[in-house]
Amino acid sequence: MGRERLFPGDRVVAYVFVLLLCALTVLPLLYMVSLALQSDAEVYAGDPVLWPSSPRFDNFTALFERAPFGRFFVNSLVVAVVVTAAHLIFDPLVGYVFAKFEFPFKRTIFISVLSTLMIPFFVRMVPIYTMFSQIGWLDTYQGLVAPFLIDAFGIFLMRQFIAPLPDELIEAARVDGASELRIYARIILPQAKPALAVLGLFTFVYQWNNFLWPLIVTSRTEMRTMPIGLTLFNEEYFTQWNLTAAGAVLLFVPTALIFALTQRYLVRGIALTGLK
Amino acid sequence: MPPSGPLARPAARGRLARQRARTAYLLLAPALVFFALMFFYPIGAELTTSAFTGVRADEFVGFGNYTRALTDPAARHAFLVTLRFAVGVVVVSLVLGIAAAMILNQRLRGRLVFRGILLVPYLTSVAIVGLLWRNILDPELGILNRLLGSAGLPEQNWLNEHPVATIVAIAVWQDIGYATLLFIAGLQGIPETYYEAARVDGATPWQRFRHVTLPLLVPTTVFVSVIGTITALQQFALPYLVTDGGPGDASDLYVFRVYETAFGFRDFGYASALSYLLLIVILALSIVQLRAGRRDHGA
Repeated sequence: MGRERLFPGDRVVAYVFVLLLCALTVLPLLYMVSLALQSDAEVYAGDPVLWPSSPRFDNFTALFERAPFGRFFVNSLVVAVVVTAAHLIFDPLVGYVFAKFEFPFKRTIFISVLSTLMIPFFVRMVPIYTMFSQIGWLDTYQGLVAPFLIDAFGIFLMRQFIAPLPDELIEAARVDGASELRIYARIILPQAKPALAVLGLFTFVYQWNNFLWPLIVTSRTEMRTMPIGLTLFNEEYFTQWNLTAAGAVLLFVPTALIFALTQRYLVRGIALTGLK
Repeated sequence: MPPSGPLARPAARGRLARQRARTAYLLLAPALVFFALMFFYPIGAELTTSAFTGVRADEFVGFGNYTRALTDPAARHAFLVTLRFAVGVVVVSLVLGIAAAMILNQRLRGRLVFRGILLVPYLTSVAIVGLLWRNILDPELGILNRLLGSAGLPEQNWLNEHPVATIVAIAVWQDIGYATLLFIAGLQGIPETYYEAARVDGATPWQRFRHVTLPLLVPTTVFVSVIGTITALQQFALPYLVTDGGPGDASDLYVFRVYETAFGFRDFGYASALSYLLLIVILALSIVQLRAGRRDHGA
């Protein structure tokens, strides 16, 4: 383990640097929470208000009165849950096939799948938009989720995780007459739980925060997701930053909760996989 | 696949292999259809569209959109601004990331909490990050200038005077926890014996950093640089949310330009050509990444 010390007496410098970095990270987010609870007058007070004298939870009511934030929230939830479920179903299944099956053109197919990792989203956005406008998928849930249902990185991750599992386990089950799907569900999946957890968490957070595609594929207010709904709300009510901040808090809560509950998994997941 | 026992007879083995191959194709089928429809067809369609112009993309111009892109001052400007943005993000992330990683790799009390805190913005929606910083930095109404003012300090006008540097800073603010984590993983891969050997040889802390830490962090540095560049070249949300590409066209990043060309001006053909040109740059970088990865594993 590389625990090289920086220089003698480095602790003080180290703490100062780290605390500064953490303050710079946390204070803007705390200010967002504060802003969400401020009255209209406090938002623009010449003497800057760091924390409201009496927190105004009415801002959240006002938010829901002015724009359908409940609907935005549900839309985001639907998109994130459906895409995450699809990843958890297909990525390990395909990863399993590449790890444990032999078939003609396996290498070619595997490389083609991996090559999709090099295709950035902006290259796909215009043609997929055109395709969806032709088949009537703009402003629909299927239009929001379809481009993201399976992911080559998830497949690769699962393949790497499943490949070292002993073949004897699978062979023994097969000799006992277990079907392929049963082997997958009863033997492979339980072993892959840690990798599945990381994959699920990242997929959910990524989709919950996704910005470019929901902006493009939706135009009706009731199909907007949280990040887009919030942005457009801010364009309309740009003087009431306290309300925008209240919306931002709503958008922030699910990821903050997930983070608080699964921090260890997330941190290890990033370190292990370089997941982006 | 080594079949055993009664199934080892050649004929049975052949039949079994064929059956397994059929199962494999069956299980792969949905994924292959997905990749065909959502990746390979769009890449082809994008190339076709890039040969047309007009709001319905029905007027054939051949390579016209490409020659237009290469001579279009706005496209050239957007590309150069994006390069500046990417270089800024990567350089600052490397310096800050290595520094933070070296510190957080010490046996500091609470280092796991610190690592966690640095990761929060990375998991936060860019809509929050963009809107929040636009509000904080707003020259007239933002909290920062009101704080500076009440402290008697000169006020800032970064969004108007240094828009690119400002969105570089916001991008770094969001992603520094990610770079730091990767560098911590890199540092933990360096065997402590190297440092002991260097100490025995009388190397100063700076010499140990320069001749042990830095060279052994090269693979992580290459990874963070290339991934960071590829990500930064695709930045869309920050100019969209924070600066609207301005003031003027000062922070008109490339993908923001592509978005405006396609969904603002409805020029899908030209937008497609612009996309393809950036794709070539990104593919070249991806190949550098793959080569570097292979070299590390081979060594």
